[in-house]
Amino acid sequence: MSWPRRSPTPPRAPAASTNNRVVPKASSVPPPADGEGAALPRATPVVSALLASSPSGPVDSVLAATVIALIGFGVIMVYSASAVEATVRHHDAQFFLKRQAIYAIVSVIGMWLVSRIDYAKYRKLTYPIMAVVTAMLVFVVVGFGHRAGNAFRWIAVGPVHIQPAEVAKLGIVLWLAYSLSKKADKIKSFYIGFVPHLLVVGFFAVLLLKQPDFGSAVVLLILTFTLLFVAGARVHYIGAFTTLAALGAVFLVRFSEYRFKRYLAFMDMENNRNDIAYQPFQSVMSFGSGGFSGLGLGRGLQVLYLPEAHTDFISAIIGEELGFLGILGLSAAYMLIVSRGVKIALEAQDDYGSYLAFGISTLFGVQSLTNLAVAMAIFPTKGLTLPFLSYGGSSLLVNAMAAGILLSISRPRTATADLGSNERPKRAAPSASALVATSADEGAAGGAGW
Amino acid sequence: MKNLDPERARWIKIRMGMLCGLMGLGLGGIVSGAYHVQVDDGDEWFELAERQRQRRLHIQPKRGTIYDRNGAPLAESVEVPSVSLDAVEMLRGIDPKYLPMKIQQYSARVAEALNMPVEDVADKLTRRRRFAWLKRRVSEDEVQKVRELSDRTQRYPLAGLTIEGEGHRFYPNRELAGPLLGFVSPDGDGREGLELSLEHELKGHASEVHGLRDRAGRLLFSEGVEDEQALAGHNVYLTIDKGIQFTAERELEAAMKTYEAIGGSIVAVDPATGEILAMASSPGYNPNDYGAADPDARRNRAVADRFEPGSSMKVFMMASALAAKSVDPNATIYAENGTMAIDNVVIHDTHVSKWLTPTQCLSISSNICAAKIALGLGESRLYEGLRRFGFGDQSGIPFPGESAGVLRPRGRPWVQVETANAAYGQGISVTTLQLAMAMSAVANNGRLLEPLLVKRVNDGTGVTLSEASPHIRRDVVPAATAQLVSEMLVSVTEGEGTGVEAAIPGFRVAGKTGTAQKIDPTTGKYTDAHYIASFVGFVPVEKPRITIAVVLDEPVGGTHAGGSVSAPVFRRVGEMALRYLGVMPRGSVPMKLADLSKKAEAGDTAANTYQVMGEAKVAAAPAAGVVTPSAPMRAGEARVPDFAGWPAREAVKAAMGLGLTPTVEGTGRLTHQEPPAGAVLPKGAAVKLVFEPST
Repeated sequence: MSWPRRSPTPPRAPAASTNNRVVPKASSVPPPADGEGAALPRATPVVSALLASSPSGPVDSVLAATVIALIGFGVIMVYSASAVEATVRHHDAQFFLKRQAIYAIVSVIGMWLVSRIDYAKYRKLTYPIMAVVTAMLVFVVVGFGHRAGNAFRWIAVGPVHIQPAEVAKLGIVLWLAYSLSKKADKIKSFYIGFVPHLLVVGFFAVLLLKQPDFGSAVVLLILTFTLLFVAGARVHYIGAFTTLAALGAVFLVRFSEYRFKRYLAFMDMENNRNDIAYQPFQSVMSFGSGGFSGLGLGRGLQVLYLPEAHTDFISAIIGEELGFLGILGLSAAYMLIVSRGVKIALEAQDDYGSYLAFGISTLFGVQSLTNLAVAMAIFPTKGLTLPFLSYGGSSLLVNAMAAGILLSISRPRTATADLGSNERPKRAAPSASALVATSADEGAAGGAGW
Repeated sequence: MKNLDPERARWIKIRMGMLCGLMGLGLGGIVSGAYHVQVDDGDEWFELAERQRQRRLHIQPKRGTIYDRNGAPLAESVEVPSVSLDAVEMLRGIDPKYLPMKIQQYSARVAEALNMPVEDVADKLTRRRRFAWLKRRVSEDEVQKVRELSDRTQRYPLAGLTIEGEGHRFYPNRELAGPLLGFVSPDGDGREGLELSLEHELKGHASEVHGLRDRAGRLLFSEGVEDEQALAGHNVYLTIDKGIQFTAERELEAAMKTYEAIGGSIVAVDPATGEILAMASSPGYNPNDYGAADPDARRNRAVADRFEPGSSMKVFMMASALAAKSVDPNATIYAENGTMAIDNVVIHDTHVSKWLTPTQCLSISSNICAAKIALGLGESRLYEGLRRFGFGDQSGIPFPGESAGVLRPRGRPWVQVETANAAYGQGISVTTLQLAMAMSAVANNGRLLEPLLVKRVNDGTGVTLSEASPHIRRDVVPAATAQLVSEMLVSVTEGEGTGVEAAIPGFRVAGKTGTAQKIDPTTGKYTDAHYIASFVGFVPVEKPRITIAVVLDEPVGGTHAGGSVSAPVFRRVGEMALRYLGVMPRGSVPMKLADLSKKAEAGDTAANTYQVMGEAKVAAAPAAGVVTPSAPMRAGEARVPDFAGWPAREAVKAAMGLGLTPTVEGTGRLTHQEPPAGAVLPKGAAVKLVFEPST
């Protein structure tokens, strides 16, 4: 591996070291009877089958800690951003806090579970997952969706609202990683390597545009082109189709009166600040009024004016309450997550894991960058959530599960139970210890218990 | 990627590295963008946000009430609901495709509820403002309908409609003292009359507070919430006595009708203090409906209009001459048999006479005699004398638009004939108020006082902030001279005097008539068709309690002389006012209530007044159920209202408000009261209130 690596140094935090320095064990042995493992419901055979051969090497604790810290931070920010809205609409200031806290707990457990599943097993699950995602998207588009504002983006299952677009993003990454690794060198061919992927993603994108969810469609296309590029598709195909897609997007904006108006209003925000550009304008106002160090947690006042402050525009509230320092910290956290993800991609056992890890990292990176850009009105309003922070169960759970997959890939592998016929050099152990050492060295958020 | 050949794996990593670089660039862009927005422009955004939040609220503190001297409200503020619209809120989340249709639909619903044109509502909706008044001063019915429209439990509730209370000025006595009180604009600014001149007191000081509003425009909280009472405007107690004002207006109105005059005014003053007890101007108007009133009717003629006073001025000329000792009170002056030429002008007397004393000169109102005395006094001393009585000068009354009158219209000393004219009130102009104040100086031992209109100012919590006290402008003439002139003026209302019509039985009345020809504006010459008839006097002479000036503009029909047109008005108003003030006629025993009521049955106007006022009050009572305290009979007396069916708390409150001492029995609603409704009791007297729970 060409990735520069630190030499193993004695860990400074003894607590972290004892927890992290797990001696690799045979993967067929179920995890030692730690409480959570024992308490797991063994109801579904799929889950037990998945867990049966879990690799038990240590995960990337820096990544895990950062993600958990962000989720916890998100709960606090959601409370701060939603208290007024919750009081007005639900007569309960903690309305969104309570829900987000539950989602957070469920998500962290979900992440833990997923991290224990050998990611290689997703290869077989690729098509079932794609089928479910397609069904959900179609379900929403044909009119069973739950409406919020002008968009039908949700499926209501009792009190739980699932946003298929979030699931679709992860689904497409899973499928692309599978497909690209399977096609290997044939990726260079136009009809085998390029067109099928574009057709599938194009179909998804059209479904998303129907909702309408312009932002998610764009994210899907970015993910696709990214992975195609990484896997070695010909650059001029990608260049040509990116240009085509861009033209298509321009066409969509220009000839959809509603979008074009939004665009014009966005370009001339000053004059439309009371109606169409109200949201982006309020968002920048909110973002900017934080100044260098912010107004203080819970002291932000723009929540009174900024609609959806706790979902898509939570970064504006962070900007207001925690200021430039807060945004800097937030950016650093995302950079850390993405760079750990890319590191995992580079060090992955196989190309499937590598594509998967890189796709997920790109997903986190693109979403957080876009969300911040929207909050500063660099981009027009997109309706994209801020990963791990925005209020919303499906977004949080999907992102946490994606992080879980990353963690799973990060596990060193001493034994390869069912990874196909390829024989691998057993080089994981030093890599794992290096990771642990790095994490202890950086001392990021304690790296507890993972 | 150990499953791939190293060359391919290397390329994959290189490509990943390139994409990471791109993302890194993106992050750099975001961070620098954040630095720009937050650190570079942060202060500006903060300012902007602050301005949006702290929308300055013009909270109108409750405007103070104007009371008469006995605490009867003349102008009060009541909260009237108004409906405002937040168009952005109302149209939130509507597909632009359906926007025009929805606007039509919503406007129709709102317009129907508020009884206003659909186009107006649609117009306001289309503009998409966060705040616009839809309709101000809506009725209870409309409020109910708006509530139903925005009721969230119904099928299609409308958002963005707000009902807010807005202060509305209400004049419970309608026309009473209209031109004096003035009115208040819909925005709460005093526009005319006392509402304008007392703006500072009535409006209250803390008229602006900072409040925090959310995007729905709801007031969240304000910094340093202040006591509402402290914010409220001050309550002003005028020197006006509602009873005397009522009488003055009624009598003025009657005279206006009888003589078909185009205008008139009455000023009644307490000569000892300068307090104005009544100030009537006719035609008047109802300030509750000022929009419909003729601007001419809104003018307070007693203060704003100047006119040539005629013979009334002889009083002040005479006082000046006597003070200057240029004429002996016992002298006899030759009256030239009714015609005298000065320079090239011939002046006439109505009563042709030969020799007259100064007293007779006043009582029969001889112009020739007055001219001779004035010429004896001399131009400069006459001018100075009249100035000292307050003519040609503003009186200092706190009222907007006061006219000063003009003594030297040409801006130079009078020539001989002008001096003679000035002696009997020609070629100069004065106001009714000036006449009343100058006459009060004669009544008040030669002391000219500043007219007072505001007796007391209380803040919202009832603490007295200022109390007016008499203010002496100057000693115009020695007390002896003033008393001498007073005695001379009694002759005007006795025997052969021109003002016998002003005599009040049982009192000695001092006064002077005035009948001035008006100048025809087209020819610039005096006409024989248009006159100003005036009477100014005070009563009783021994210890003057009230000075009344009555001026009628262009009376027609049979007579136009001040003695026959204005003097009777003086008598009737004076007679009533003396009873109000509790002044007993000479050598008479106090009148019993029983006698009064007998007189009332016999049709005595003065005694009837209470009755009439009571009726007027009922007629003027606002529909909205604003409780106006009953007008006290006299200072220190109160009429027991009909409490039947009232809840205990309110009955007790009302009784205490009248200065009565309630004793309470039982709970619930009032079933019995003692004494019965309508009884007149001195303040502090006990009222027994019996309550029973309603079934």
